[in-house]
Amino acid sequence: MVLENRVVEEMKDSLQKEVVLRTHGLSKKFGKRWAARDLNLEVHRDDVFCFLGPNGAGKSTTIRMILTLLMPTAGSIEMFGMDLHKNRSAVLSRVCGIVEKPDFYLYLSAYKNLEILGSMTRRIEKEKIMETLEVVGLKARAFEKVKTFSHGMKQRLGIAQALLTKPELIILDEPTTGLDPQGTKEVRELIRRLSHDREMTIFLSSHLLSEVELVATRMAVINRGELIAQGSVSELLGKEATEYSIEVLPLESATELIAKLPWVKVLSAQNGKIKVRVEPGHSSELNRLLVTHHIGVSSFSPHRTLEDFFLKITEGTSEI
Amino acid sequence: MKLLWLEIFKTFSRWRTYIAFGFIALIVILTEIVMKLSADEIMIRMMRSLQKDFLIFGNLLNGWFVTAFIMNSLHIHIPFLITLVAGDIVSSESTSGTVRLLLIRPPSRSKIITVKYLTSLFYTTAIVLFLACMSIFLGLALFGSGDLIMNYATRFRIVFIPEAEIPVRMLLAFAAAIWSMTVVASMAFLFSTLAENSIGPIIGTMAVVVVFFLLGNFPFDFFRALSPYLFTTYMIFWQRFLDDPIPWQEIARSAIILGLHNIGLFLIAFVAFNKKDITS
Repeated sequence: MVLENRVVEEMKDSLQKEVVLRTHGLSKKFGKRWAARDLNLEVHRDDVFCFLGPNGAGKSTTIRMILTLLMPTAGSIEMFGMDLHKNRSAVLSRVCGIVEKPDFYLYLSAYKNLEILGSMTRRIEKEKIMETLEVVGLKARAFEKVKTFSHGMKQRLGIAQALLTKPELIILDEPTTGLDPQGTKEVRELIRRLSHDREMTIFLSSHLLSEVELVATRMAVINRGELIAQGSVSELLGKEATEYSIEVLPLESATELIAKLPWVKVLSAQNGKIKVRVEPGHSSELNRLLVTHHIGVSSFSPHRTLEDFFLKITEGTSEI
Repeated sequence: MKLLWLEIFKTFSRWRTYIAFGFIALIVILTEIVMKLSADEIMIRMMRSLQKDFLIFGNLLNGWFVTAFIMNSLHIHIPFLITLVAGDIVSSESTSGTVRLLLIRPPSRSKIITVKYLTSLFYTTAIVLFLACMSIFLGLALFGSGDLIMNYATRFRIVFIPEAEIPVRMLLAFAAAIWSMTVVASMAFLFSTLAENSIGPIIGTMAVVVVFFLLGNFPFDFFRALSPYLFTTYMIFWQRFLDDPIPWQEIARSAIILGLHNIGLFLIAFVAFNKKDITS
């Protein structure tokens, strides 16, 4: 009942919020193959909108059309209430993004890269550049050439260039791809901070279901160029029990405690790791219980594959 | 204007841009030193054909003559140096992936491609002016000044230009050389717009320039009939400023034909870039 109320509230909230990005029948054909077909997406202000799909599903193609790198074969894109192609400059001055991997002028410093790219949108003060580099943790390397940067640092620099001009909408194409666990964590943290502290609308694509669960508020699912589902994350994912993998110490006490809880089922417990299935809405409660019972929790991660999710929604077993 | 400045800054921040300047400096210095060391031998060779019919006094092997000699020798090599930047200026953005960052900014594709083209022209101008300054100043310092005698052997003409007229004529000749080289820059730029790597545009442009030069210079009627249709035929119109009298009509015709090539090549690049899907 509580969950249903929450979903209804979220739906009401979604309807009231301004639509910052809307696509109408957006399609792209390469030769005889449709890379994206008849996509009707809707991103609301302040959303962390995740565009989910396996590799080759059409996510990058869609993002490239939204950022004017590809011309749509059919359909239209509306941003901030304006037609993108008729008001390109006005629209893009309020948007920024990274498409695929963040590439920079390797022979220039991080500072110079930001200065060049930022000033293509508006006049950028030196202090603003340094401040942005500080936000992404690159201030100390500001004047080093980008060719000396790791992939993770380039990814953060990519986010810095996206932030520099204070866009209202940031579009990130698989921002955690190729990053090590620490880099992935940092980027996700950054996305959360941007959405929460700076009230930016974020559109990100991913092929990781766990990423959606960790950062997104709304999502759309694409497969083979076609939209399969769209809605709030709780609408699409929250109605099912989720499997979690929990690293705990000591294992025995944790297993004993969990076994007493009616809304959790232990699937396996070995090597300091418990695999459980938790009823919707109880995951944070479980975490809290473990901690208050002095059980060390070193990781608590959802364990559900994109393949499982696709199978469920395409077979109609999920209640979407 | 700001976009243009940013593009020029980017271009001149790459070491590749300076290869051409280094090459020109090296070649001009070497050529002039060797000519200085072999001055007597060069004079004998020059005088051999002239002494039969003329009595010549004064400093024949002077800075102006050396400059004209270098210009004549390098008009095949300079295009290669120009393609290093003009053939790379768009394609390198595709290769490095930065094109994606550029084209999601508010400035339109039309502005970006125009600014890149203007930067190619700026670089071309800088290269030819650098060649002019190096060869003239070093030439005058090593060989001194004097009247210029141009021996156009293929046209059985010897032209004498008094010292007082030479600076203006040289200025016009170098301006014409810049104009000629912009066609090479335009072609390399077009190829750069169409390609996703830099090697193709550089090799492609050089192949066209060399093949056209060869076709235009084969001593057969068939190729002679072709030569008015090859832009390379008009590229050496800078030489006409060192002729007497200056054939203004021929110069204007060549300049217009080359200008039309520039416009045509840029327009194709402009349309192609605006329609291009960025898939890299």
